[in-house]
Amino acid sequence: MKTRKLTCVLAALLALVMALGLAGCGKGDGRNEDGIYEFTMFIAMPGSEINDDNEIMNLIAEKTGAKVKETWLTGQAAAEAVGSIIASQDYPDFIDGGDGMMALYDEGILVPWDEYLEKYPNLKEMYSDAEWNSFRQEDGHIYWANVFQNTYGESRATTHNDEAFWIQARVLEWAGYPEIHTLDQYFDVLTRYAEANPTMGDGMTVIPYTMLCEDWRYFCLENAPEFLDGYPNDGSVIVDTSSGTPTIVDYNTTPTAKRYFQKLNEEYKAGNIDIEFATQTYDEYIAKLSTGRVLGMCDQWWNFAYTVNDVFKQQGLDKQGCNYVPLGLTIDEGMDNRWHTYDDTLNNSSGVAVTTSCKDPDAAFKFLNDLLDQEIHDLRFWGIEGVDYLVDENGLYYRTEEMRTKAADKSYQASHFCNYSYMPQYLGTSRDGINAMQPAEQTSEFFEGLAEPLVKCFEAYGAENYPDMIGSVVEHNAPWFPMYSFSNAMTTGTPGGVAWTKMGEVKHEWLPRVVMASDFEKEWGDYMSAYSAVNPGAFLAEMQEELNRRAG
Amino acid sequence: MDKKKSKMKRSFADKLFTVCNTIFLAAFCVITLYPVLNTVAVSFNDGIDAVRGGIHLWPRIFTLQNYKTVFSQQNIITGAYISVLRTVIGTVLALVTNALLAYVVSRKQFLFRSQLSLFWVVTMYVGGGMIPTLILYRNLGLTGSFWVYVIPGMISAFNMMVMRTYMEGLPGALEESAKIDGAGDFRIFVSIISPLCKPVYATVALFVAVGQWNSWFDAMLYNRMSPEYTTLQYELMKLLSSVMQTGGTANPGAPGAAAAVTPVTVRAAATVVTMLPIICLYPFLQRYFVTGMTIGSVKE
Amino acid sequence: MKSKRISWREIKRQKFLMICTVCFVIYGIIFYYLPLGGWIMAFQDFKAKDGFFGSKFVGLEKFKFLFSDATFLQVIRNTLAMGVLNLVCTFVMAIVFAILLNEVRLMAGKKLVQTVSYLPHFLSWIIVTGILHDALSSSGIINELLVKIGIIDGPINFFAHKGYFWPIVAFANVWKETGWNAIVYLAAITSIDPSLYEAATIDGAGRWAKIKNITLPGIKPTIIILLIMNVGNVLNAGFEVQYLLGNGLVKSVADTIDIYTLTWGVGQNDYSLGTAAGIFKSVVAIILIVAANQIAKKTGEDKLF
Repeated sequence: MKTRKLTCVLAALLALVMALGLAGCGKGDGRNEDGIYEFTMFIAMPGSEINDDNEIMNLIAEKTGAKVKETWLTGQAAAEAVGSIIASQDYPDFIDGGDGMMALYDEGILVPWDEYLEKYPNLKEMYSDAEWNSFRQEDGHIYWANVFQNTYGESRATTHNDEAFWIQARVLEWAGYPEIHTLDQYFDVLTRYAEANPTMGDGMTVIPYTMLCEDWRYFCLENAPEFLDGYPNDGSVIVDTSSGTPTIVDYNTTPTAKRYFQKLNEEYKAGNIDIEFATQTYDEYIAKLSTGRVLGMCDQWWNFAYTVNDVFKQQGLDKQGCNYVPLGLTIDEGMDNRWHTYDDTLNNSSGVAVTTSCKDPDAAFKFLNDLLDQEIHDLRFWGIEGVDYLVDENGLYYRTEEMRTKAADKSYQASHFCNYSYMPQYLGTSRDGINAMQPAEQTSEFFEGLAEPLVKCFEAYGAENYPDMIGSVVEHNAPWFPMYSFSNAMTTGTPGGVAWTKMGEVKHEWLPRVVMASDFEKEWGDYMSAYSAVNPGAFLAEMQEELNRRAG
Repeated sequence: MDKKKSKMKRSFADKLFTVCNTIFLAAFCVITLYPVLNTVAVSFNDGIDAVRGGIHLWPRIFTLQNYKTVFSQQNIITGAYISVLRTVIGTVLALVTNALLAYVVSRKQFLFRSQLSLFWVVTMYVGGGMIPTLILYRNLGLTGSFWVYVIPGMISAFNMMVMRTYMEGLPGALEESAKIDGAGDFRIFVSIISPLCKPVYATVALFVAVGQWNSWFDAMLYNRMSPEYTTLQYELMKLLSSVMQTGGTANPGAPGAAAAVTPVTVRAAATVVTMLPIICLYPFLQRYFVTGMTIGSVKE
Repeated sequence: MKSKRISWREIKRQKFLMICTVCFVIYGIIFYYLPLGGWIMAFQDFKAKDGFFGSKFVGLEKFKFLFSDATFLQVIRNTLAMGVLNLVCTFVMAIVFAILLNEVRLMAGKKLVQTVSYLPHFLSWIIVTGILHDALSSSGIINELLVKIGIIDGPINFFAHKGYFWPIVAFANVWKETGWNAIVYLAAITSIDPSLYEAATIDGAGRWAKIKNITLPGIKPTIIILLIMNVGNVLNAGFEVQYLLGNGLVKSVADTIDIYTLTWGVGQNDYSLGTAAGIFKSVVAIILIVAANQIAKKTGEDKLF
């Protein structure tokens, strides 16, 4: 009796599953019943999904005849995810494979762009011929295009979306907006401020300086010597051009590196550096910054600002001048600094591609083309006129406070906004010549969101925005820039790649020890011998080889 | 007199034991309950505020927004449906097959008993890796289907061994009498062994059900492009995973780089959402292994 | 009766068992043994584009790479140490907890404690380690407590010292899994004949005596079997906890084989190295359980196979 009941339940369940299996079938030529193409896309980066009933997605679908269902990376490394997609041979229509892009090319499942570039002018317009050529693979074809850091017309950059030594605006105000160019001056201001104002309003003690050393984010501690010597962010190495021929220099062993870490060591011993710097997690670091207790740190803007600035705003700490401004420090007075990268950084190692699984590649490329139409581009990044932004008599787009709050709301984003964030897009100036391509770069919007102490600080230094504040040398990127695009792609297949990974492990372990050492000279010596034991020469040689190739 | 004294001593020792035991278990409860309550508190706290840390047992700024975010996740309904389905079907299938296998290897007279055991024990410690497994499932037509959730992991040597050990510990008298009555191996399994195995069946059912309910990696790996077979956990994992991203620098200028880090509060809410059904299910299974079955009575 | 004779008559008599065995073996071969073909990658310089048949064979080079690397030997040590420590701690705690819980007379209390105790199992490591990090930080509750009691003068930075790392990991495991692991033992306890306890009570046995003479022997087979199975898992000391709790300062004691594989294999798109490390783990695991099983056999305990 009991078993029969169980059998019935099971049978019913099985029937359900069967029905479910059938419901999934019937995909046809990729178009749904309304004649709209429904493309799929996989992006080897974590991200937020767009709802199926998203308003702007459906609006764009009406106008262009296509929509895209995005799937993001979940709990895997990019290369691993791409490897598993290849093994399952279940390809989406569009793919951005991140670190695994080459594997997709090797598998031969990407559709060449060449003929479509001639057919679709907006796509062609994205890059110059020389830039497009840099995307060509060994077989001479173009298979993907990077979509980021692509400025249309005049640059509108307002933030310093790079690395810097940051300092709270209130510290500068307290010190009377002094000129700060070196580490010594920087730490001097931080410590003097901390002595004079040891606690926050709520009684918490201030922390003059902290640094994050967790996993790959330890760049906050590790790569400052490269900038302190006045070089741009090549990432893994310095490229020295003083002798005429570009030469690779290891920034880990320069005298500047030693002086930097010695300075940190002294300040640590003097109690001016967070004692938990070496063991804090990213969450703890962000929490610490969010309380406003931390006066300064070295970090990339994108690593802290988006989260921390929101908290400052909510807690009213922005009014107290807790927001961070960047300083373009160098090891000695009177040097040029290159912390800020003015040009676009063209990362040709990955981007959006169309796969051979796509039933109608022409329609896919047409859609990419359509996404760059100004009207569609505005829909993607600004939203719907009258709902998400308003236009004044001069044609300038602006948002009310309410619109800004709404645009930042996660669930509103998911149901309303659809920026197809890994599809072709522009920064810089809109084709109307008035507005910025993306709201974050609209100067009026930028000032609207700026707290009073920041405005005062910028004024005091005669700066209009963050890049002015750091005052880096304005120059174009060298043809080999950035060298990290090569070192990031290194594998253990070469001695240099093995050395590169080992160097990372040694630095990860030793740098905090060096900073915390009671006998700096001895610890530094031990670190250097551990460092040279992993054969950094092999890595540098391969970097030099690549540099020679790029410098042509 | 001596006896009375020792009895008093014993009752004192017993009382002391009870007191110590109560204290120990109460302390244990507090320690284990704390992270759970903390998670619940965080899940009801405002996301931006929670970044500052320092939330313990009570939210600082109360909000239901995090739950709203969790439930506004695309496909959450489909995911919940598939999750329930795979949990039910997967548990039933696993229970039947593991029990049968355990029964086979628990038969002392069975010829290939130790070889079969070894065959399964080995499977616990070897694996071909992600890619070969994926290729195999693809060739078997399991990818892009519901069955990949319930067929491949059906038999687990661990669960089977737990069942076998229990079965071997059962009193043999009933079985002997059934044999004399001419019952075959199958009949003995169904009508004699299984009814006695309820506690261990409940245990394994719990293990399998929790495993099925919590797993998300298979949904991502095998049904990445088939959203109709997504599971609840996979949908929630999409919210959680960004913080576990282990390597590589973010694409410079990519908008996702910063925005993709899910607030701790939403992570907490997602955790609570996954825990709830299991907490509700538990009391139904619990009676089998807390009450203490009186199987001694069948012995007579 | 001791030695079983394989004869057709016997096979026929065990017809049902034989049919089941054939089905289970076929299933096992397909789902567990066929993927082992992937082990071939360990002897190749596997490239996805060339596949299993086109990739270059490199013999034992990947294994040579592993065992000539001082870091790999270090991570084996770490993995073993943490594996053994975790095994001992979680194992003992689960048994102790199950037995003590069984001694609770009040049914409601018993159910409550049990329900509470298994909840942390459902929290992900990222949440548990987050709370642990919080509790052990310099302003955390543990330091506060220790300073108040007067055991230490100033806060200890627990995560900066190599000596604390293994115990912290073991504690985290115990904290998260004790209640969950105890479920098996609670189920096993139910199979103990209650009349044994009644008889012991009449004989005047105390609670300790009953635990020692009835409960423990009653669940001994379960303990032995689980112990043997878990011995094979000592090299699976995990990856998440160590990854989430570790930092540069304790790297030399925190990194496990799995973290190593992630850095050198998956992270570098080198499946071959990861597979080689996997084979090494499998071989060690099988050696360990065979040894444990032999010991159990020799001492007359229940064995796994």
